[in-house]
Amino acid sequence: MRIAEGLRDLLPGELSFLEEKERGALDLFEAWSYRKVLTTGLEYGECVEPEMPRKGRLYKFFDQEGRVLALRPEFTTPIARLVSSRMRHDALPLRLCYSGDVYRYGSGRYREFRQIGVELIGSTAEMADAEVIALAIEMLRCLGLRDFRISLGHIGVFSDLAVELALEDGLRTDLEDGLAQKDVVRMREVLATCPLPEMAKELLRLLPSLTGGAEVLDRLREFECFDSVRRAAASLRTVFGFLGDFGVQEHVSVDLGILRGFAYYTGTIFEGYIPEVGFPVLEGGRYDRLYEEFGMSTQATGFACNLETLLSLGGQRPSPEADILVCGNAPDRIIRRCRELREAGKKVEMALGPSAYDRLAHDRLVHDLPLHDHRRVEFVE
Amino acid sequence: MFVSKKRLSLALPKGKLLEDSVELLERAGVECRQVLGDDRQLTFELPNHHMQIIICRPTDIPTFVEYGAADLGFVGKDTVVEQNKDVAELVDLRFGYCRFVVAMPEDALPPRLSDGSYELRALDRKRVATKFPRVAEQFFSARGMQVTPIKLHGNIELAPKVGLADMIVDIVSTGKTLKMNQLAEVAQIFEATSRLIANRVSYRLKHEDIQVFADQLIHLTGD
Repeated sequence: MRIAEGLRDLLPGELSFLEEKERGALDLFEAWSYRKVLTTGLEYGECVEPEMPRKGRLYKFFDQEGRVLALRPEFTTPIARLVSSRMRHDALPLRLCYSGDVYRYGSGRYREFRQIGVELIGSTAEMADAEVIALAIEMLRCLGLRDFRISLGHIGVFSDLAVELALEDGLRTDLEDGLAQKDVVRMREVLATCPLPEMAKELLRLLPSLTGGAEVLDRLREFECFDSVRRAAASLRTVFGFLGDFGVQEHVSVDLGILRGFAYYTGTIFEGYIPEVGFPVLEGGRYDRLYEEFGMSTQATGFACNLETLLSLGGQRPSPEADILVCGNAPDRIIRRCRELREAGKKVEMALGPSAYDRLAHDRLVHDLPLHDHRRVEFVE
Repeated sequence: MFVSKKRLSLALPKGKLLEDSVELLERAGVECRQVLGDDRQLTFELPNHHMQIIICRPTDIPTFVEYGAADLGFVGKDTVVEQNKDVAELVDLRFGYCRFVVAMPEDALPPRLSDGSYELRALDRKRVATKFPRVAEQFFSARGMQVTPIKLHGNIELAPKVGLADMIVDIVSTGKTLKMNQLAEVAQIFEATSRLIANRVSYRLKHEDIQVFADQLIHLTGD
């Protein structure tokens, strides 16, 4: 039997490996006082559509009234829906986390994968940005990764600058599209002919190369004649400093060349990279306007991580089988002994019949096989 | 001479663009003439430059780069647009010039407008044969029209002749092939040249090397 393209089954070894890592990450989130929520698997189309790049990437269905439902492609928007409805009156800030399967129609990669992440809702403080980035790094460490890098940027250098310069719509759209599609050629062409101040053009041309440590932030000083740049740089400096206090700065590069459309994000943005993986394994940032779409005026930041990509680097472990195999010649005594051992907290496998008829039990007893997984064989008279 | 600090892999298109690619690379200080030799060898190590060159079909290059199997690639803008992969586009290499056009049989051209262009409305709901269904669909839907793309893999000019389609969307460089098949251009969609594309993670993790390489190409191509 075939399974649908882009999906896969997990065997016991793979699943227990995935769940062990997931458990570790969720325990970490809990220690940082994030509480886990689970939103519905199916959402109304309009609830997952706000993010434009997802167009054509949803698995969609009709319900019996003809309304469009979609399998969730991510958790951030559904959690905004949840918070703005049933948790509307909860005290802020709210710290929520999630782990669940998301579905994205598209080429390559998985179409169904376990996504894990956090949302910190109701704070504009730089400490909040730093907290989620530090937590992302601790999570990657906890998953056993060492050689990873987090790029930290700020979307305001584009979006707020566009507002400050009062860009006309056409030019703004051109730059936005160039950015969202990572089309540096187009951005350079647009910049070559547009009527922006030289200083702004210079900055926009330079952005992809502004990557490194604290020196990148110094480099930005010459452009701080723009209010928006000064605010973004000040914010980045503060966040970067806090990441030092969190003890995670070694993994972080300040990187103003993260190319991403700015329909969704509003402040600090970040991405996590691993050298062997061709796409970011983790993405996050501040999205202060999303909640407005749900009629709630609040700010938020968070990250999401494709757990399965990370695990594909890690392999699997043998699934935990029983500690003890109980066999014998009398079924009633085998069953009784199994119950005793289980009550004592052991993992027990039961031979399904007198040992002479249970091949596995018989072989192990007769040949006194050393069991590869250190299971003990117990024979009940 | 260009020497990368971190190892860079570059995918080059097999076929007519390979020579232009190699010529540009040589000018940029990357000695790689050997890739023009044996056309069965698909990977080449350039230890002096700390680079690897991968030779693949032009239409496969965005895929290699998107997955990070190659950090960089040279590929036609036509392929980039059609495939819409998640890659960064860094330099216009200025070679491999071609144009995307809509063409129709010379004896069935739509009426002309006062400015000399063709009245495309007449093409609404027609069938269009093309290697580039995405480009065709985008062009017509941006004009509020619907067409039925018919995806073919070659000899597109044949389709209107035998009644498979009413028109074609294809790339042309000189227009000779169109003429030979009694087709005429009725609209230009856009012009395309080759591009340097980069994997989005490589572009951040190997930024310094890639930027030096890209700047060198920008300088040489007079961007």
